[in-house]
Amino acid sequence: MKALQRFSYPIFFVIMALIPHLLNPRWQAVSITFLIFAVVALSQDIILGKSGMFNMGQALFFGMGAYTTAILNSHFGWPIIATIPMAILIPALFGVVLAGPIVHLRGDYLLVVTIGFNIVFVQVLQNNLGGLTGGPNGIFGLGSLSIFGLNLTSQVAVYYFAFIVFLLTLWIMHNLEKSKAGRALHYLREDQLAAESIGINTRSYKIFAFGLGAGIAGLAGTVFAVQYSAVSPEAFEFIQSVLFFSIVLVGGSSVPGILLGVFVMFVLPEIFREFATWRYFIFGFAMILSMILRPRGIWPATFGKIPKFLIKESKHGA
Amino acid sequence: MAHNELILTNVTKRFGGLTAVDALTMTVEPGQIYGVIGPNGAGKTTVFNCITGIYKSEEGSVSWRGEEIRGLTPYQIVDRGIVRTFQTIRLFSQMSVAENIMSGRHIKSTQKWWHGIIPTPGSRRDEKENWLKVGELLEFFNLEEFAAIPTASLSYGHQRRVEMARAMAVDPTLLILDEPAAGLNDKETSELLEVIFKIREQGVTVLLIEHDMDLVMKVTDYLTVLNFGKKIAEGTPDEIQKNPLVIEAYLGSEDDDDE
Amino acid sequence: MDIFLQQLANGLTIGSIFALVALGYTMVYGVMRLINFAHGDMVAASAFVGLTVYTQVMGQATSLFSVIVIFLLTASVMACVGVLLERLAYRPLRDAPRLSAVVSALGASLVIQNGIMLIWGPRMQIFPELVPQVYWDLGGVVISLIQVIILALSLVLMVGLYLFIEKTRMGAAVRASSIDQDAARLMGINVNSVIALIFIIGSSLGAIGGLFIGMYYRGITFNMGWQYGLYAFIAAIIGGIGNIPGAMMGGMLLGLFNAFIAGYISSTWADAFTFILLILILIVRPTGILGERVAEKV
Repeated sequence: MKALQRFSYPIFFVIMALIPHLLNPRWQAVSITFLIFAVVALSQDIILGKSGMFNMGQALFFGMGAYTTAILNSHFGWPIIATIPMAILIPALFGVVLAGPIVHLRGDYLLVVTIGFNIVFVQVLQNNLGGLTGGPNGIFGLGSLSIFGLNLTSQVAVYYFAFIVFLLTLWIMHNLEKSKAGRALHYLREDQLAAESIGINTRSYKIFAFGLGAGIAGLAGTVFAVQYSAVSPEAFEFIQSVLFFSIVLVGGSSVPGILLGVFVMFVLPEIFREFATWRYFIFGFAMILSMILRPRGIWPATFGKIPKFLIKESKHGA
Repeated sequence: MAHNELILTNVTKRFGGLTAVDALTMTVEPGQIYGVIGPNGAGKTTVFNCITGIYKSEEGSVSWRGEEIRGLTPYQIVDRGIVRTFQTIRLFSQMSVAENIMSGRHIKSTQKWWHGIIPTPGSRRDEKENWLKVGELLEFFNLEEFAAIPTASLSYGHQRRVEMARAMAVDPTLLILDEPAAGLNDKETSELLEVIFKIREQGVTVLLIEHDMDLVMKVTDYLTVLNFGKKIAEGTPDEIQKNPLVIEAYLGSEDDDDE
Repeated sequence: MDIFLQQLANGLTIGSIFALVALGYTMVYGVMRLINFAHGDMVAASAFVGLTVYTQVMGQATSLFSVIVIFLLTASVMACVGVLLERLAYRPLRDAPRLSAVVSALGASLVIQNGIMLIWGPRMQIFPELVPQVYWDLGGVVISLIQVIILALSLVLMVGLYLFIEKTRMGAAVRASSIDQDAARLMGINVNSVIALIFIIGSSLGAIGGLFIGMYYRGITFNMGWQYGLYAFIAAIIGGIGNIPGAMMGGMLLGLFNAFIAGYISSTWADAFTFILLILILIVRPTGILGERVAEKV
């Protein structure tokens, strides 16, 4: 079992790295979608799973990143690669500004307010505010990704772009787990008053979580814009946020659980296309059933990530 | 030097029409083990909540080392070296003992928020140093064998010890203990006594609320007695034991307890 | 001025529908601390059930008798669905982490919404004209019979519920359970039957709200529940969650606010303004205007 755990990640990464060469274009596209939504779900996990804040508006930050790339590229002629920093920073900044006045709200209120942000955002897009967002049709005909003069138009290239973003996200989440900031998020989720009483400025860490989650989702938005070379409001409707919210909780806020959730929500429907109309009906039942059977998620996150030397000592003593 | 102590002056805290703490004045000197006692509902925990920033008192002043700390938030007060435990133990129950103690190192850690995204050699070193410190505390509180165990599955006595270890991880100047012996058996209580003395040896001032009179009389240097939010007496344990007002307050309250 | 009065009438109509739906949210939240996300979809489902009762049971009759049967039958069906929903999706999770119940509620919402789609199809259906189209022109302000009926019937139902909750023993049991379930249980209140009762009342009121939506707007779609559900939940929060008169007031207020935004600014921005209003209210008064009536476990 332990050996399986040790090797499962490398095997997974190798398979993921080889996948575009094994699949036909349709399944390459599905794999890219998987990676994009996996990144958004992981970013949602930082806010919802790690920090325990009921955020049901993650599609807002995802969409903001996608639209930032699209607007800068189509209206201002920026190359896609140059839009990436902005597609991270603008959503992150919005995450911080929006979170500021609301993070003190109790769980369910926070949930409704974040739904509200998402709906306001989509309405702004649809109403073509400032003539930039293209209204209900969105923006299409975006340029393709190019780095150092290399024009990366092929789907395989886009796949590797998505894969790099995915690896980067996993790396950040790994770093977060082993840092003061990441632990602070866990503490405030477990008991806010205790966290505050041990010296943690819970408010600023909550805002940090929102900013970080929003920035990563924004980066996923860029990949989305590159993949479809278009953006439109319905891809960022709040029903998408509901899906990300559910994926994190049904998955159990762990990386394998979340990836499994993304696979079930976004890849399985591609396999069983004839059941397309039954999709959400079945998901609904699956959500209820999985919560009843495993209230903490299918693959619950484990705690006790402490340095080995602390555990070893204990075995000596015992 | 001159103001290295905690001074409460006329602290008053009201909840609606109820005055939970009424014009309380007391001074905790450095190095003391100071006790606050009183019958149930006398306002002891409220006093602690006013000192640690969970409540803000309506009137009066809370001064710590010459600085007014009334109105600061709990984490700002921890930053100034005052840390507390809770009567109803508040641990991060799904997390391991070691992680719980590590939370106390939060304010001592030099890591910035961006180190949570991109670590640097400096932040890795800081991380290592703080875990080593956690290792020392595990040893000091005799908790090594539980390092990786979630606190929710520990016994009550061990949970109390984890909470104290977590508080000591802050390297506090003043440690506030809210009924540390509540729910402990005799053996655990005597171990607690030793631990409190050991903590004082490290130069930490201890302020505690306790119901266990034997413990209070053994451990404290100085006492304040509250009843209905008012101070009815203060002095050394010997003086307090002879004070008729105190005896009356406690005899009066015994009936309530028996109900 | 005409716009003002006209939108006042429209706002009160839609506001009373919001209020009826909001009552279901607020009662369930009050006792169970759960946002019943499926409630909005139940409201949508009742419009479709009403449609089927009209065509299949009443043979498309629009007599007063027929209308009464449609209302009673739909409300009874939805009350059963509500009780079933609680039994299957919520009761098993009563002691689970709160978020698990939220996910279960979202799942139930998807099931009901897509169940409607699978049964009645994805396209918009036209709700029958149960009430004759009678209009009164009061000096530039047009008021329809249907508006008068919606407003009057909603007021009667709300006053009735208020009296029930405040004056009867069962009502007292509901209030006690929202303050402290454990204490209520110790005092001999059967909390399970209280919860069943609030699902019966909430779902029936929601069903009537759904029929009103069908009668007033005529076009009904399988996914309209989220929209009404969200608005009604906002109404419940604005009024102070768990607070029954608060939900009624919140619904009316939100209906009026929406009507005036639509009348004076633009209906394409109505959602955005509604949420901005909610956010501002929560920032200023985190427990709603009339104050919430739930006890948080500390």
